[in-house]
Amino acid sequence: MKEHIGKKLYQVELGPPKQDTEKLLEDLELFRQKYDRVMDSGYVVGITDNAMGLMAFQGHETIQELGLRVIPEQVMIHLNTFHTKGNLHEILDACRDMGIRYLLVVSGDGSDRLPKLQPDDLGFAGVVEAVTAVELIEYIHREYPGVFEIGAAFNPYEPAEHEFEKLERKLKAGATFVITQPIIEQNAVVDEMLKRFPGLTVFVEAWMSKRISLLSEAVGYEIPEDTAFDPIETLKSLHRLYPNCGVYLSLLGFKTQYHLLHDTWA
Amino acid sequence: MILTDPSQKAEYRNVWALAEVLSGQVQPVTYELIGASRALADAKGSEVWAVLLGAGTAGQADSLFAYGADKVLLVDDPRLAGFSDEWEAGVLERLMRKYKPDVLLGAATARGRALMPRVAVKANCGLTADCTQLGIDPENGDLLQTRPAFGGNILATIRCSSHRPQLATVRPRVMKALAPDSGRKGEVIREELLDTDAKKTKRIVETFQDKETVVNLGHAQIIVSGGRGVKGPKGFDLLRAFANKVGAAVGASRAAIDSGWISYAHQIGQTGQTVQTRVYIACGISGQIQHLVGMQSSDTIIAIDKNPNTPMMQLADIAIVGDLFEVIPEIIKEIDKV
Amino acid sequence: MKIVVCIKQVPASSDAKIDPETKRIIREGMKAVLNPFDTYAVEEAVQLRNRFGGEVIVLSMGPEKAAHSLREAISVGADRAVLLSDRAFGGSDTWATSYALAKAVEKIGGVDLVICGKQAVDGDTAQVGPGIAAHLDWVQATYVLKVEDASETGIRVRRMNEDGYDVCEVDFPAVLTVLKDINRPRVPTLKGSLAALREEIPVWKPADIGAELEKIGLDGSPTRVVKTAPPPPRNTVTRVLEGTPAESVRELVKDLRTRGIL
Repeated sequence: MKEHIGKKLYQVELGPPKQDTEKLLEDLELFRQKYDRVMDSGYVVGITDNAMGLMAFQGHETIQELGLRVIPEQVMIHLNTFHTKGNLHEILDACRDMGIRYLLVVSGDGSDRLPKLQPDDLGFAGVVEAVTAVELIEYIHREYPGVFEIGAAFNPYEPAEHEFEKLERKLKAGATFVITQPIIEQNAVVDEMLKRFPGLTVFVEAWMSKRISLLSEAVGYEIPEDTAFDPIETLKSLHRLYPNCGVYLSLLGFKTQYHLLHDTWA
Repeated sequence: MILTDPSQKAEYRNVWALAEVLSGQVQPVTYELIGASRALADAKGSEVWAVLLGAGTAGQADSLFAYGADKVLLVDDPRLAGFSDEWEAGVLERLMRKYKPDVLLGAATARGRALMPRVAVKANCGLTADCTQLGIDPENGDLLQTRPAFGGNILATIRCSSHRPQLATVRPRVMKALAPDSGRKGEVIREELLDTDAKKTKRIVETFQDKETVVNLGHAQIIVSGGRGVKGPKGFDLLRAFANKVGAAVGASRAAIDSGWISYAHQIGQTGQTVQTRVYIACGISGQIQHLVGMQSSDTIIAIDKNPNTPMMQLADIAIVGDLFEVIPEIIKEIDKV
Repeated sequence: MKIVVCIKQVPASSDAKIDPETKRIIREGMKAVLNPFDTYAVEEAVQLRNRFGGEVIVLSMGPEKAAHSLREAISVGADRAVLLSDRAFGGSDTWATSYALAKAVEKIGGVDLVICGKQAVDGDTAQVGPGIAAHLDWVQATYVLKVEDASETGIRVRRMNEDGYDVCEVDFPAVLTVLKDINRPRVPTLKGSLAALREEIPVWKPADIGAELEKIGLDGSPTRVVKTAPPPPRNTVTRVLEGTPAESVRELVKDLRTRGIL
């Protein structure tokens, strides 16, 4: 992933169609178009796994069903801890067989419809009380040695020392790159993380929706509904503030913003 | 039964309260139903009849009089020992046709919610679930039944003017029981269970009391309840430690249940239990209306949240702005001092 | 084993918005989903079918778009679906709804078992399951936590009550309503969902099920909603404590003493 930063290649987040969509075929077609566009521009597509605990189809089955091309350097599948063991292996096998190399492993958000991986499933019975990204990273490297390059999440809005300690464990488990929660300005905790983990491959997440109030839950304080926010200008400032980091784009507008990306990373 | 003419309403008199019997014991919700029935009967100048279906429960009729029943309609039969909805619905339907009550109130418990719809269909009358308010329309004598709908976002008032009797269920701890008067007496009317009351029935093989399945939040004086802000099963361990310190029960919002952090039995709200406790301590619960309807009639509400602007923080009597992971250990420390 | 699962399409609860003027739920543009409790009913039926053979038919009454929720049930293993949809069914309360569904179960014919979710999250009444049983005059077991055993002729279940559960046996035909505890519903695959999209779903009218018109819709409903209003606000003044945790807790303890709680 480090070379992606050198080449100024973005990571672009895409969500597969939701389970409860009333227009599945249209949603799939839209996914295909966006996916192809990201492939064409040489960027990395990051495909979410039931983001926010909302039930969606899986990235690997969407790629398979649509017959999308997999360029190993350009596809990253998110994987959270809300799966059955059988389902987890189904996903990992499919990713390996399709030649997908990058995984972003996160603890994730559950829902009452989603099963949760248990310590026993991954050989951690009696070792941990609950499966987090740390155990899942370690498990994947153990079961699929040398197959995947795994990234982990970093949340600068949680108590910092706790997050640094967690990051330490994620790296020890085998994570090789990190993606932060969305930041919209210079962030002291991210700065501290860069200082404490020199040489680590870091992507900061840029919030590309104008609706900045939606970020309230992630940052833990209320952002008023009517706050003015310019995602493209913010993106440019993130590049200035964090020249050695890559950028992960969430909620990118393909119609209104994609064409502007060619000169945001100057 | 369908009324073909409004004048037929007059044939239906008296308010019946169906006793909730569990393991052979009349449950407290029964007295609440009698209390609610009393108010309705007094408004119409009619009587309150408590309906007691069971096996060997005849001796408990006295308490029904003490709490305000004028008559007790008693069916005592070994076949009514467990909860056999088929027998109970059959006998109730037959007795309703015989005695023509104006209203039948049942408890909105697992049992009442299974039985009352069966009775309503068989007797061809309307039924309103989970009423929070009951009244009589002074103009036509109809029962006005108010219940929360759409996750508690609105209160709907429902009437049933063309059918009698009018059936409603009420959750435990929503209505108030009257103060018991042991000197109060009344008449016991005995009826038999007939073989024809049910065509086919279930066989109840065994009955288990299981505190793990059912977390009885209703009897707790204090409830410590957690939501999304508790962040995981470990957070609930902190809440449990806190609850143990103050002798509280542990509740949860739907967000916490849906995330799999704690079992459904702990859920408070529209799709969980309704509680009316002395002190309700909401930890990291934003306060969606579906949760609020299940706890907002508690005496004192304390909320702990980082965000002071949530509906729960605004509803609370005392709102502590802060990280629950810092505030709760601090409370535990303070209690240890005392 | 021939099993009918009755399902309901409900508004996605998180989208529930109230019109500030009329105080009524704004239904327009509200997303509709399969009632979450019904997914457990579908899963249990599919598991029984997989064990004993037979057929799972999902049944719903609602507008044409409820077909979408029926397809969701097909995507996780139901064999086919039937939709009751007609203006004449509109405005049904639980009495009329359970009547129409019972008539459809009779029309399907040869049914051993009807399974419903505990309740629908929009109405929360839990009345339709027992109502269907009453209309059919079948045995019922409600709030089922667990299927302990089953055979071609009957089923043994754990039924929840207020202080535990009982184990009861019912002979077919019977009606069950099931709780979340009963299973872990499988998640639809994309392949399954795409296949379900191609499924033809027959739409039945009142005449198709031999329903008497005075027993369905608004005319067949004993209950009427006469008024809706927002819930009354709780009348309290909030005391906000904003200091350090230690300061806040000291204040809290003082406050609880004055209120006579400690």
